[in-house]
Amino acid sequence: MSVERLVEIAEKTVKTVVNLGASQAQASAFLIDNALTRFANSQIHQNVASKNGGIIVKAVLPDKRIGTLRANTLEEAEIEKIAETAIKMAKSAHPNKDFKSLPEPEPWNPIQGAFDSETASCTPDYRAEKVKEAIETAHNKSSIVRAVAGYFSTSSMHFAVANSLGISAHASLTTASMKTTVISEENGSEGFGTAEKYSRHVKDINPVSLAEDAAEKSVKSVKPIKIQPGEYEVVLSPLAVGTIFSYLGYIGFSAVPYQNGSSFVNYFKNQQIFDSKLNVKDDAKDSRTLYMTPIDGEGVPKKMLTLINNGVVSEESICYDSLRAGKEGKKSTGHSVPPITRWFYDVPVPFNIIVEPGDSTIEEMISETKHGIFVTYLHYVNPVEPTKAILTGLTRDGTFLIENGEITKPIVNMRFTDSMLSALRNISLIGKNLEIVEETTVPPMKLNKLRFVGVSAY
Amino acid sequence: MLSEYGEKAIEEAKKLGASYADIRIGEILDEVLTIKNGAPEEVKFLQTKGFGVRVIVDGAWGFAASVDINKDEISKVVNRAVSIAKASAKLKRKDIKLSQETVRQDRYETPYKKDPFEVPLEEKLKILFEAERLLAEQSPLIKASYSYYRGFREKKFFMSSEGHRISQTITWCGGGLMAIAVKNGEMQVRSYPASFRGDFSTSGYEFFESLALVENAKNVGQELLKLFEAKKCPSGVTDLILTGDQLALQIHESCGHPTELDRVLGTEADYAGTSFLTPEKLGKFMYGSKHVNIVADATVPGGLGTFGYDDEGTPAKKVYLVKEGLFVGYQSSRETAVELNLGESSGGMRADSPLSLPLIRMTNINLLPGDWKSEEIIEDTKNGVLMMTNRSWSIDDKRINFQFGTEIGWLIKDGSKEEMVKNPTYMGVTPQFWGSCDAVSRDDWKMWGTPNCGKGVPGQVMYVGHGCGTARFRNVRVGLI
Repeated sequence: MSVERLVEIAEKTVKTVVNLGASQAQASAFLIDNALTRFANSQIHQNVASKNGGIIVKAVLPDKRIGTLRANTLEEAEIEKIAETAIKMAKSAHPNKDFKSLPEPEPWNPIQGAFDSETASCTPDYRAEKVKEAIETAHNKSSIVRAVAGYFSTSSMHFAVANSLGISAHASLTTASMKTTVISEENGSEGFGTAEKYSRHVKDINPVSLAEDAAEKSVKSVKPIKIQPGEYEVVLSPLAVGTIFSYLGYIGFSAVPYQNGSSFVNYFKNQQIFDSKLNVKDDAKDSRTLYMTPIDGEGVPKKMLTLINNGVVSEESICYDSLRAGKEGKKSTGHSVPPITRWFYDVPVPFNIIVEPGDSTIEEMISETKHGIFVTYLHYVNPVEPTKAILTGLTRDGTFLIENGEITKPIVNMRFTDSMLSALRNISLIGKNLEIVEETTVPPMKLNKLRFVGVSAY
Repeated sequence: MLSEYGEKAIEEAKKLGASYADIRIGEILDEVLTIKNGAPEEVKFLQTKGFGVRVIVDGAWGFAASVDINKDEISKVVNRAVSIAKASAKLKRKDIKLSQETVRQDRYETPYKKDPFEVPLEEKLKILFEAERLLAEQSPLIKASYSYYRGFREKKFFMSSEGHRISQTITWCGGGLMAIAVKNGEMQVRSYPASFRGDFSTSGYEFFESLALVENAKNVGQELLKLFEAKKCPSGVTDLILTGDQLALQIHESCGHPTELDRVLGTEADYAGTSFLTPEKLGKFMYGSKHVNIVADATVPGGLGTFGYDDEGTPAKKVYLVKEGLFVGYQSSRETAVELNLGESSGGMRADSPLSLPLIRMTNINLLPGDWKSEEIIEDTKNGVLMMTNRSWSIDDKRINFQFGTEIGWLIKDGSKEEMVKNPTYMGVTPQFWGSCDAVSRDDWKMWGTPNCGKGVPGQVMYVGHGCGTARFRNVRVGLI
């Protein structure tokens, strides 16, 4: 089914809802094809594909009673029934005093390069071949490599949004990603290493380089030593940096925590809370981001937002959809999440975070560290106190001690619990090469200190 | 009609060389209602439907799914699943084998008194508006007040090439309250009856009514405000008492996940991680003290992980994971049961939608009741902290090192619950922590429902349950922030 057909379905649904008595209506039609080949113990163990599609309808009655319905069908014959159910739900609801209006149409243009037909048509045989290359490369790296795990995923996504005020817009995009985790073992001691790659183009995924990177970390991770918790200098790989900024986006820059008073932005606006070298934006039209889309889930053109400007956050850093913007008399920034995720997010979030690069390499960061920790990956990170941006989590898949400018030993995974307002206040170096890590595009970083509070018991 | 579609899928898969095939055809109805600050933030009805076909061809798995339930699409999806399996077979180390299970032809329906989908929307919203209003009016310091309802129904038909024909209708519902208050730049949060939108049960609407949100709203708001006057939870090592709503998550993270046999065998190594409960420890390793008895029980009435059959057609079971402190069992599937010569699956294969591949998921992971009353545990504690209602959580990739934060706590002194403390946190190492458990209550034991357990790639979200009451743990590190 073409994206033009999705536009027709969305527009017809809007007309049907309005004809049934809605004062405003919005419909988005989506079609997603996901395929994922997963491997573990150096063999494929899960290999899946799914086609998912449907319509999401919002019916608004004149007194601002609103009903929302998602149905897993794109059959034209079902539209009447879907529209009737949305109207019925709205009639049962109470008026939403916070609702001002669905968004007005604005000019938009399709984005070139967001969709790659090679990615969309990738076959299970191709994915299996690339997985095989990764597994063989890792095992060839060292005889102590015991097992290789990971996944190779390709997706194509199309969605169209229409509303009764005249919005009619659409987007198509593809993503490809691969993760390789290598487990080594020597004399009963395990070592882990991981590497990931994300792109819109399946041909950008190089399984050999990923496997080499993951295997090297894994082999070097066996027989780790324990070091004492405390504050350390840290060199963070892009995978670790991406996790931190993804959480800052969720707890800090979304309008929902901001309006609830739980965002750190509420309390530190226009202050030098981060290092002045830190510049972060959210820009869905920047080709460096994975999820390039011209519009958001309401058909509003995506706006570029400066999240952190020379270490300073402001009211201009907040991401809005039309409902949350309406509460403050503002316009949407185009951050309603499109219906391309499996779950039905109803919270505006930055999905295209780009941390601007510096001028260092990881090697230079390590060479300038006297006594610190190299972190490949941060696991199970969660906010402990969002108003102070305190996060906790653990290192994983390649954690090393740095002494006098060199990586000297693998160390047992450690738990950090620290305020990112403190950790990112003193950034020593920012890397010059950016990597895509899902919804973030980030460089490696060297921080002057990160607080570790515990050590894993293995 | 479903049977006809099923027969077609199985027949075509066999023709294409499948040695095993199954199909799940299903529909999920999900009603989500949220009132925030006096406005209906969410009045949503989500419908998911489709089918998923799982095949073994040339000794390897393939899975494909689609939302379009018709004969042409079934043929396409079966072909896709078979070609995927053939690709898998290029990188197999050995052929997939499944444990022997009795072939079943059966029906199961969640028992309930009031059908949640027959109760008028207006009635649900009336309760939510009233509860949220009472919560919000406790103080202008409350910046955000929420009331939640969720009703869920999954209808699914499972058919396999071995002869399974199983129809199930799983129904659950529940809800809760949550408020966020801010004073002088400090934020506090309080939830009822548990965090993350409340508590849920495979029951009818009567369960939502029993939560009594309106009757509890005022107390939730007042307790929230008292947190601003409370001292910070002191740092140090002390005795820790956890109430059921927090203990449920402790069980989930530190016993539920590490006993999932797919993790143990390395198939989640790239994402969620592995497990410290490796096979050589089975039957030999002391996971906890003699007071610790933990089961995976998909049969317990009202448990959010209660059903008739898992998504491989294995009937619901009660399986010991930890018996008097000894690690004795895993949560398994038909494939992993063969890997470890366990004889049979524990019946834990579940998919979060017809479009998803079944994985080993928790059912109801329950800490069985001890001999104590919850009040007796407090009276028996000289110095300690009682913590309630989860606020933050994190645990490492082998499920050993954890840190939790709760919404509220109280200092225990000389057997009495005294001063309230705020921002309570604790951390520990799983076997040491459960080894220090010396008291488990009986009087306040109940099932808690968690509808948001994440696992797998692509990610899936499953509804699981945890039965527990109150428990005490000696010498735990508390007060980390």
